[in-house]
Amino acid sequence: MRPILSGLLFFTLLYLMGDVFVKHSNFGIFSGAINLTLFGDEDQFIDPLTHSSFLEFWHMEIFFIMMILLTLSAIFIRLSDKSKKQILITNITMLSSIISLLALLASFYLWAYFIELYVLCFFIWHTLASYMALFSLWKLHYDKSI
Amino acid sequence: MTKAYKYSILYFLSFSILLLISGAMLFEVKIGFSVVGVRDYYLGNSDKFIAAKSADALLKITLPHIFSFGLFIMVLLHFLIFTKERYKAKSRFLVYLTFIATFIEISSPFLIIYGSEFFAYGKILGFIIFNSLILYSTWLLLSSIMND
Repeated sequence: MRPILSGLLFFTLLYLMGDVFVKHSNFGIFSGAINLTLFGDEDQFIDPLTHSSFLEFWHMEIFFIMMILLTLSAIFIRLSDKSKKQILITNITMLSSIISLLALLASFYLWAYFIELYVLCFFIWHTLASYMALFSLWKLHYDKSI
Repeated sequence: MTKAYKYSILYFLSFSILLLISGAMLFEVKIGFSVVGVRDYYLGNSDKFIAAKSADALLKITLPHIFSFGLFIMVLLHFLIFTKERYKAKSRFLVYLTFIATFIEISSPFLIIYGSEFFAYGKILGFIIFNSLILYSTWLLLSSIMND
Protein backbone atom coordinates (compact mmCIF):
# COMPACT_ATOMS: atom_id res chain seq x y z
CA MET A 1 0.00 0.00 0.00
CA ARG A 2 2.92 2.36 0.70
CA PRO A 3 3.83 3.19 -2.93
CA ILE A 4 0.16 3.68 -3.88
CA LEU A 5 -0.55 6.04 -1.00
CA SER A 6 2.77 7.84 -1.51
CA GLY A 7 1.92 8.42 -5.16
CA LEU A 8 -1.54 9.68 -4.31
CA LEU A 9 -0.19 12.02 -1.62
CA PHE A 10 2.49 13.30 -3.98
CA PHE A 11 -0.14 14.07 -6.64
CA THR A 12 -2.34 15.72 -3.99
CA LEU A 13 0.56 17.96 -3.04
CA LEU A 14 1.15 18.78 -6.71
CA TYR A 15 -2.54 19.64 -7.11
CA LEU A 16 -2.52 21.90 -4.06
CA MET A 17 0.54 23.79 -5.32
CA GLY A 18 -0.72 23.85 -8.90
CA ASP A 19 -4.10 25.17 -7.74
CA VAL A 20 -2.42 28.21 -6.18
CA PHE A 21 -0.44 28.97 -9.36
CA VAL A 22 -3.39 28.42 -11.73
CA LYS A 23 -5.71 30.54 -9.56
CA HIS A 24 -3.01 33.23 -9.40
CA SER A 25 -2.93 33.52 -13.20
CA ASN A 26 -6.61 32.91 -14.02
CA PHE A 27 -8.74 34.03 -11.10
CA GLY A 28 -6.52 35.75 -8.55
CA ILE A 29 -5.46 34.72 -5.07
CA PHE A 30 -5.45 38.16 -3.46
CA SER A 31 -8.47 40.39 -2.96
CA GLY A 32 -7.56 43.01 -5.62
CA ALA A 33 -7.17 40.47 -8.43
CA ILE A 34 -10.25 38.47 -7.37
CA ASN A 35 -12.31 41.66 -7.21
CA LEU A 36 -11.19 42.51 -10.75
CA THR A 37 -12.10 39.02 -12.03
CA LEU A 38 -15.52 38.94 -10.37
CA PHE A 39 -16.69 42.48 -10.98
CA GLY A 40 -14.49 43.71 -13.86
CA ASP A 41 -13.20 47.25 -14.36
CA GLU A 42 -14.63 49.69 -16.92
CA ASP A 43 -11.42 51.76 -17.01
CA GLN A 44 -9.37 48.71 -17.97
CA PHE A 45 -12.13 47.35 -20.26
CA ILE A 46 -12.38 44.15 -18.18
CA ASP A 47 -15.83 42.57 -18.24
CA PRO A 48 -17.32 41.19 -15.01
CA LEU A 49 -17.86 37.47 -14.65
CA THR A 50 -21.31 36.35 -15.80
CA HIS A 51 -23.61 34.53 -13.37
CA SER A 52 -23.33 31.27 -15.31
CA SER A 53 -19.50 31.47 -15.56
CA PHE A 54 -19.26 32.15 -11.84
CA LEU A 55 -21.59 29.28 -10.97
CA GLU A 56 -19.71 26.89 -13.28
CA PHE A 57 -16.47 27.84 -11.53
CA TRP A 58 -18.05 27.46 -8.09
CA HIS A 59 -19.63 24.12 -8.99
CA MET A 60 -16.29 22.67 -10.17
CA GLU A 61 -14.47 24.02 -7.13
CA ILE A 62 -16.91 22.26 -4.80
CA PHE A 63 -16.48 18.95 -6.60
CA PHE A 64 -12.67 19.05 -6.66
CA ILE A 65 -12.32 20.23 -3.06
CA MET A 66 -14.76 17.62 -1.71
CA MET A 67 -13.02 14.73 -3.47
CA ILE A 68 -9.49 15.85 -2.59
CA LEU A 69 -10.24 16.58 1.05
CA LEU A 70 -12.23 13.38 1.57
CA THR A 71 -9.36 11.28 0.18
CA LEU A 72 -6.70 13.24 2.02
CA SER A 73 -8.53 13.22 5.35
CA ALA A 74 -9.18 9.45 5.08
CA ILE A 75 -5.43 8.80 4.62
CA PHE A 76 -4.46 11.33 7.30
CA ILE A 77 -6.86 9.86 9.85
CA ARG A 78 -5.74 6.31 9.03
CA LEU A 79 -2.05 7.15 9.50
CA SER A 80 -2.36 9.52 12.45
CA ASP A 81 -2.78 8.53 16.09
CA LYS A 82 -6.21 10.24 16.07
CA SER A 83 -5.11 12.70 18.74
CA LYS A 84 -7.11 15.85 19.50
CA LYS A 85 -4.57 17.91 17.56
CA GLN A 86 -4.98 15.84 14.41
CA ILE A 87 -8.78 15.84 14.61
CA LEU A 88 -8.59 19.61 15.09
CA ILE A 89 -6.43 19.98 11.97
CA THR A 90 -8.90 17.92 9.94
CA ASN A 91 -11.81 19.98 11.24
CA ILE A 92 -10.13 23.33 10.54
CA THR A 93 -9.14 22.23 7.02
CA MET A 94 -12.66 21.07 6.19
CA LEU A 95 -14.39 24.05 7.81
CA SER A 96 -12.09 26.61 6.19
CA SER A 97 -12.62 25.05 2.76
CA ILE A 98 -16.42 25.12 3.21
CA ILE A 99 -16.27 28.71 4.50
CA SER A 100 -14.06 29.70 1.53
CA LEU A 101 -16.69 28.36 -0.88
CA LEU A 102 -19.55 30.10 0.94
CA ALA A 103 -17.54 33.35 1.18
CA LEU A 104 -16.90 33.25 -2.56
CA LEU A 105 -20.63 32.88 -3.24
CA ALA A 106 -21.46 35.63 -0.74
CA SER A 107 -18.85 37.97 -2.25
CA PHE A 108 -20.38 37.60 -5.71
CA TYR A 109 -24.03 37.90 -4.70
CA LEU A 110 -24.07 39.82 -1.41
CA TRP A 111 -21.05 41.86 -0.40
CA ALA A 112 -17.63 42.17 -2.08
CA TYR A 113 -15.85 42.33 1.30
CA PHE A 114 -16.40 38.58 1.70
CA ILE A 115 -13.48 38.21 -0.73
CA GLU A 116 -11.15 38.90 2.21
CA LEU A 117 -12.67 35.96 4.10
CA TYR A 118 -12.38 33.80 0.98
CA VAL A 119 -8.66 34.63 0.62
CA LEU A 120 -7.99 33.92 4.31
CA CYS A 121 -9.81 30.56 4.23
CA PHE A 122 -8.27 29.65 0.86
CA PHE A 123 -4.75 29.95 2.31
CA ILE A 124 -5.69 28.23 5.59
CA TRP A 125 -7.09 25.12 3.90
CA HIS A 126 -4.30 24.93 1.33
CA THR A 127 -1.64 25.20 4.05
CA LEU A 128 -3.28 22.65 6.32
CA ALA A 129 -4.05 20.22 3.48
CA SER A 130 -0.39 20.44 2.42
CA TYR A 131 0.63 19.75 6.03
CA MET A 132 -1.72 16.73 6.13
CA ALA A 133 -0.21 15.35 2.91
CA LEU A 134 3.37 15.94 4.09
CA PHE A 135 2.65 14.47 7.53
CA SER A 136 1.07 11.38 5.95
CA LEU A 137 4.08 10.97 3.63
CA TRP A 138 6.43 11.26 6.60
CA LYS A 139 4.40 8.70 8.57
CA LEU A 140 4.41 6.31 5.61
CA HIS A 141 8.17 6.40 5.16
CA TYR A 142 9.68 7.13 8.58
CA ASP A 143 7.30 5.68 11.14
CA LYS A 144 8.31 2.07 11.83
CA SER A 145 4.95 1.23 13.42
CA ILE A 146 3.07 1.71 10.11
CA MET B 1 -16.33 3.77 12.73
CA THR B 2 -14.08 6.15 14.66
CA LYS B 3 -15.09 9.67 15.58
CA ALA B 4 -12.53 11.14 13.18
CA TYR B 5 -14.01 9.28 10.19
CA LYS B 6 -17.49 10.43 11.21
CA TYR B 7 -16.31 14.03 11.01
CA SER B 8 -14.85 13.36 7.59
CA ILE B 9 -18.14 11.91 6.31
CA LEU B 10 -20.13 14.76 7.86
CA TYR B 11 -18.03 17.29 5.95
CA PHE B 12 -18.42 15.25 2.77
CA LEU B 13 -22.19 15.39 3.24
CA SER B 14 -21.99 19.18 3.67
CA PHE B 15 -20.03 19.41 0.42
CA SER B 16 -22.63 17.20 -1.26
CA ILE B 17 -25.41 19.60 -0.26
CA LEU B 18 -23.34 22.53 -1.58
CA LEU B 19 -22.83 20.62 -4.83
CA LEU B 20 -26.59 20.09 -5.17
CA ILE B 21 -27.28 23.77 -4.45
CA SER B 22 -24.69 24.91 -7.01
CA GLY B 23 -26.07 22.45 -9.57
CA ALA B 24 -29.63 23.70 -9.03
CA MET B 25 -28.51 27.35 -9.28
CA LEU B 26 -26.63 26.59 -12.48
CA PHE B 27 -29.66 24.79 -13.91
CA GLU B 28 -31.91 27.75 -13.07
CA VAL B 29 -29.50 30.38 -14.48
CA LYS B 30 -28.54 28.53 -17.67
CA ILE B 31 -31.68 26.54 -18.51
CA GLY B 32 -34.55 27.26 -16.14
CA PHE B 33 -36.89 24.82 -14.43
CA SER B 34 -39.53 24.83 -17.14
CA VAL B 35 -40.20 22.66 -20.18
CA VAL B 36 -40.06 25.75 -22.42
CA GLY B 37 -36.71 26.74 -20.88
CA VAL B 38 -35.23 23.28 -21.46
CA ARG B 39 -36.60 23.17 -25.04
CA ASP B 40 -35.23 26.63 -25.85
CA TYR B 41 -31.84 25.86 -24.33
CA TYR B 42 -31.28 22.69 -26.37
CA LEU B 43 -33.26 23.34 -29.55
CA GLY B 44 -32.72 27.11 -29.71
CA ASN B 45 -35.21 29.94 -30.07
CA SER B 46 -34.71 32.57 -32.77
CA ASP B 47 -37.06 35.03 -31.02
CA LYS B 48 -34.88 34.94 -27.91
CA PHE B 49 -31.62 34.77 -29.94
CA ILE B 50 -30.73 31.37 -28.44
CA ALA B 51 -28.70 29.10 -30.72
CA ALA B 52 -29.51 25.38 -30.83
CA LYS B 53 -26.98 23.09 -29.14
CA SER B 54 -24.93 20.79 -31.35
CA ALA B 55 -23.99 17.23 -30.36
CA ASP B 56 -20.36 18.40 -29.97
CA ALA B 57 -21.36 21.11 -27.52
CA LEU B 58 -23.45 18.64 -25.53
CA LEU B 59 -20.62 16.11 -25.42
CA LYS B 60 -18.23 18.73 -24.01
CA ILE B 61 -20.58 19.22 -21.06
CA THR B 62 -21.70 15.59 -20.74
CA LEU B 63 -18.35 13.83 -20.91
CA PRO B 64 -16.82 15.16 -17.66
CA HIS B 65 -20.21 14.78 -15.97
CA ILE B 66 -20.50 11.05 -16.79
CA PHE B 67 -17.43 10.21 -14.73
CA SER B 68 -18.10 12.83 -12.04
CA PHE B 69 -21.67 11.64 -11.48
CA GLY B 70 -20.54 8.00 -11.27
CA LEU B 71 -17.73 8.82 -8.85
CA PHE B 72 -19.86 11.08 -6.69
CA ILE B 73 -22.73 8.56 -6.40
CA MET B 74 -20.33 5.70 -5.67
CA VAL B 75 -18.50 7.63 -2.94
CA LEU B 76 -21.69 8.90 -1.31
CA LEU B 77 -23.64 5.64 -1.41
CA HIS B 78 -20.73 3.41 -0.38
CA PHE B 79 -20.90 5.07 3.05
CA LEU B 80 -24.20 3.20 3.51
CA ILE B 81 -22.08 0.05 4.00
CA PHE B 82 -21.00 1.46 7.37
CA THR B 83 -24.58 1.99 8.53
CA LYS B 84 -27.43 -0.29 9.59
CA GLU B 85 -28.97 0.20 6.14
CA ARG B 86 -26.39 -1.95 4.37
CA TYR B 87 -28.32 -5.22 4.09
CA LYS B 88 -31.71 -3.66 3.42
CA ALA B 89 -33.44 -4.00 0.05
CA LYS B 90 -34.21 -0.27 0.33
CA SER B 91 -30.48 0.54 0.00
CA ARG B 92 -30.12 -1.60 -3.11
CA PHE B 93 -33.21 0.05 -4.61
CA LEU B 94 -31.76 3.48 -3.74
CA VAL B 95 -28.50 2.68 -5.56
CA TYR B 96 -30.26 1.44 -8.72
CA LEU B 97 -32.71 4.33 -8.74
CA THR B 98 -29.97 6.95 -8.30
CA PHE B 99 -27.95 5.58 -11.21
CA ILE B 100 -31.07 5.30 -13.41
CA ALA B 101 -32.14 8.90 -12.61
CA THR B 102 -28.61 10.07 -13.39
CA PHE B 103 -28.61 8.21 -16.70
CA ILE B 104 -31.92 9.86 -17.64
CA GLU B 105 -30.56 13.26 -16.63
CA ILE B 106 -27.40 12.82 -18.71
CA SER B 107 -28.98 11.23 -21.79
CA SER B 108 -32.09 13.43 -22.09
CA PRO B 109 -30.31 16.37 -23.83
CA PHE B 110 -29.30 14.01 -26.67
CA LEU B 111 -32.83 12.59 -26.79
CA ILE B 112 -34.19 16.15 -27.02
CA ILE B 113 -32.04 17.16 -29.99
CA TYR B 114 -32.21 13.80 -31.82
CA GLY B 115 -35.56 12.47 -30.64
CA SER B 116 -38.45 14.48 -29.35
CA GLU B 117 -39.12 17.66 -27.38
CA PHE B 118 -41.03 15.42 -25.00
CA PHE B 119 -37.72 14.45 -23.33
CA ALA B 120 -37.54 17.98 -21.87
CA TYR B 121 -39.81 16.53 -19.17
CA GLY B 122 -37.23 13.74 -18.69
CA LYS B 123 -34.46 16.30 -18.17
CA ILE B 124 -36.36 18.14 -15.45
CA LEU B 125 -37.71 14.97 -13.87
CA GLY B 126 -34.27 13.27 -13.95
CA PHE B 127 -32.67 16.31 -12.30
CA ILE B 128 -35.32 16.56 -9.57
CA ILE B 129 -35.30 12.80 -8.84
CA PHE B 130 -31.48 12.72 -8.75
CA ASN B 131 -31.33 15.67 -6.34
CA SER B 132 -34.08 14.20 -4.15
CA LEU B 133 -32.32 10.81 -3.95
CA ILE B 134 -28.99 12.42 -3.06
CA LEU B 135 -30.72 14.48 -0.38
CA TYR B 136 -32.44 11.35 0.95
CA SER B 137 -29.12 9.43 1.02
CA THR B 138 -27.49 12.36 2.79
CA TRP B 139 -30.27 12.35 5.39
CA LEU B 140 -29.95 8.55 5.82
CA LEU B 141 -26.21 8.83 6.41
CA LEU B 142 -26.56 11.82 8.65
CA SER B 143 -29.18 10.15 10.85
CA SER B 144 -27.17 6.93 11.18
CA ILE B 145 -24.01 8.84 12.09
CA MET B 146 -25.90 10.88 14.68
CA ASN B 147 -27.67 7.85 16.18
CA ASP B 148 -24.64 5.54 16.11
